[in-house]
Amino acid sequence: MDASLLFVEDDRSIRDVTRLELEQAGFRVTACGDGREALELFAREHFDLVLLDVMLPGVDGLEVCREIRRGHRTPIIMLTARSSTVDVVVGLELGADDYVCKPFQPAELVARVRAVLRRGQAIDATAVISVGDLLIDEAAFRATRGGEELDLTATEFRLLCVLAHRPGHVFTREMLLDLVWGYEFLGDSRLVNVAVQRLRAKVEEDPARPALITTVRGVGYRLNKP
Amino acid sequence: MRGLWPVGYAPVTSARDHGLMSSSEKKPAASRVVAPTRLRRRVATAFVLAVGISSGALAIGSYLLVRQARLDAVDSQAVSQTLISMRFAATHSNVDELLVKQRWQPTPVPTVVLAPGVPPRTSAHVTPEIIRNNGLDPAAVLAAADKPAAIGARQIPSDLRRLVGQGELARERIVTASGRHYDVVGAPLPLTPEQLYFFYNEQQVWDDLDYLRNVLVVVWLGLLVLAGLGGTLFARRTLAPVADASDAARRLAEGLLDTRLPVESRDEFGAWAAAFNDMASALEAKITALAEAQERERRFTANVAHDLRSPLTALIGEARQLTKQAHALPPDVRRLVEMLVADVGRLCRLAEDLLEISRLDAGLEPAELEPVDAAALVEGVLRSTGCFETVELDAQRFMLTTDPRRLERIVANLVENAVTHGGGDVRVRVAREGDQAIIQVADDGPGIPAAALPHIFDRQFKADTSRGSAGSGLGLAIARDNALLLGGEITVASPPNDGAVFALRLPVAEPLPDGDRPAIDDLDNQTGGNPA
Repeated sequence: MDASLLFVEDDRSIRDVTRLELEQAGFRVTACGDGREALELFAREHFDLVLLDVMLPGVDGLEVCREIRRGHRTPIIMLTARSSTVDVVVGLELGADDYVCKPFQPAELVARVRAVLRRGQAIDATAVISVGDLLIDEAAFRATRGGEELDLTATEFRLLCVLAHRPGHVFTREMLLDLVWGYEFLGDSRLVNVAVQRLRAKVEEDPARPALITTVRGVGYRLNKP
Repeated sequence: MRGLWPVGYAPVTSARDHGLMSSSEKKPAASRVVAPTRLRRRVATAFVLAVGISSGALAIGSYLLVRQARLDAVDSQAVSQTLISMRFAATHSNVDELLVKQRWQPTPVPTVVLAPGVPPRTSAHVTPEIIRNNGLDPAAVLAAADKPAAIGARQIPSDLRRLVGQGELARERIVTASGRHYDVVGAPLPLTPEQLYFFYNEQQVWDDLDYLRNVLVVVWLGLLVLAGLGGTLFARRTLAPVADASDAARRLAEGLLDTRLPVESRDEFGAWAAAFNDMASALEAKITALAEAQERERRFTANVAHDLRSPLTALIGEARQLTKQAHALPPDVRRLVEMLVADVGRLCRLAEDLLEISRLDAGLEPAELEPVDAAALVEGVLRSTGCFETVELDAQRFMLTTDPRRLERIVANLVENAVTHGGGDVRVRVAREGDQAIIQVADDGPGIPAAALPHIFDRQFKADTSRGSAGSGLGLAIARDNALLLGGEITVASPPNDGAVFALRLPVAEPLPDGDRPAIDDLDNQTGGNPA
């Protein structure tokens, strides 16, 4: 794997040692120490994934995340302090694909990066799934509803694919964490909740009264057949 | 500390509008319920009693006085009339003549009855019990009398007859069978055996007295009603400051520290309100200072936590890099590197635990509830801690509403404690008993000395002090604090030489104790704590 990462972290020691770890894992890493520089780099080059510290001097990580999401679906992993669960949720709601708590084990970070990158790959690259007026072309990484193009992040796209592969089937959050995020156990169920909310905001006609992706109380989620 | 003190609350203005009813609905569980109207009723009753007794005594007294005066007047008039009549009678030998000649009209009109003397007089004209009235026609008298023979010799009381028989002028009041009042005055006719009895009709006087009595009773009853209304009003007015004060005290207790009482009067209540306000001000100042100090401490802890986190993250990464390249180092240096790496690991665990406990103390994070599959969660914990293969799991499948991240933490800490400190076979049991979820972690280790049991959840407590290196010593304390936050508890039992059993009990669906969000219906609203 030769994916390119943008690693934004203001602490020099963390930046250097983590960069080393990521490079040993086979990634090309571009590192920088503040948000403004990160945005400039992002505008200039192509990256497969962005690792983003929340606490940054100048433009903070959440702001950078918001900026990137304005026009790009590049996967984002937030690096955050464990104590501030608010940051976690805000980051996810802004469109981050995942988060890692500091202090993290380097191996965990590498595993997360791999999992998120895998998400961008199709489950079944030959399939074109159609459920009602929903059309998903996995190979082309495109989804439309009623002819209208849906602007989905990698996680949202993967989530939609997993749900659409088996319409009417109820997926528990544990299953979704496994199938979408690639976490076999102990994933954070907030990941699923926020991702479903964001997906609904883009797919549903009335996100406040979801009709396509519905909640099965106490169990999980389901994509309804028309 | 949960629930900051809200500011900007408009206090006092309408204490009564808030009402005693509404505030008693949300009464604090511990305080005794006091009927707030009892004292008011007591004051009103006392007021009514005071007014009723005094006015009643006054009315009865005045009635008796008036009655006495009226009756005395009637008496003296009757007696003097009788004396005059007797003087007339003495100048006429014949009673009939007397009656015919008696043309004057005395007031009140006397009814003269000639009662038979002893021995009875045999007169052709006067028969016993014939009524003569001022010379009027007997037939008219009969008609005027309420009943024939209502007045007559039969009505003359025997006592009176005896007194008159002894030659005295005497009088007595009678009430006829039909309820009419007469003042009867009797006197012996001088030089004859005859006695004359004069019936003075005093019905008017009694009617007047009855009227007076009725009026007095009605007025008295009216006064009672007025006193009741006035007393209630008075009691309410008087006791309103008490109701306001208890309302204000309750609001203070609920945390509205800017609650004050209006100081409206210069009486004891006013002084009380002023003292109450002083107390509230002192309390507010103190609590504000405390909250500020706590806030400073919290900020400090958060800053320290953040500042610790960065070097720790770097340390971990560096330690890992060192480990990776340790093989290239000379053996004695490698040994040092291994020690360094192990110590970094320990430092990280300790720091993590300390940070977590400081977060628990600060109460910064509310529990985020959602439906959780207990068995799956425990299995996940065992897998992620790498002891799924070695730990025996007996799990019943059921859902409970709780914070999965905290529950994971509790289970991980209990399992880690059992594996590192207990040893032997570690068994985990997940079961539902009624509305409680029970997660038991048992080991076959040496167990916990009885003396150490009560302190097992204390921070930094290690039963076996010689074996100090394994954990931070905070794991069980963190587990216990988290369990409390989830509305549950952890108990421990350690039969001698039979390992230790830690049991976590959690409510299955119960909402958490105050302050935290209740169980949420929709999965989607569980993130972030802002159900839209």
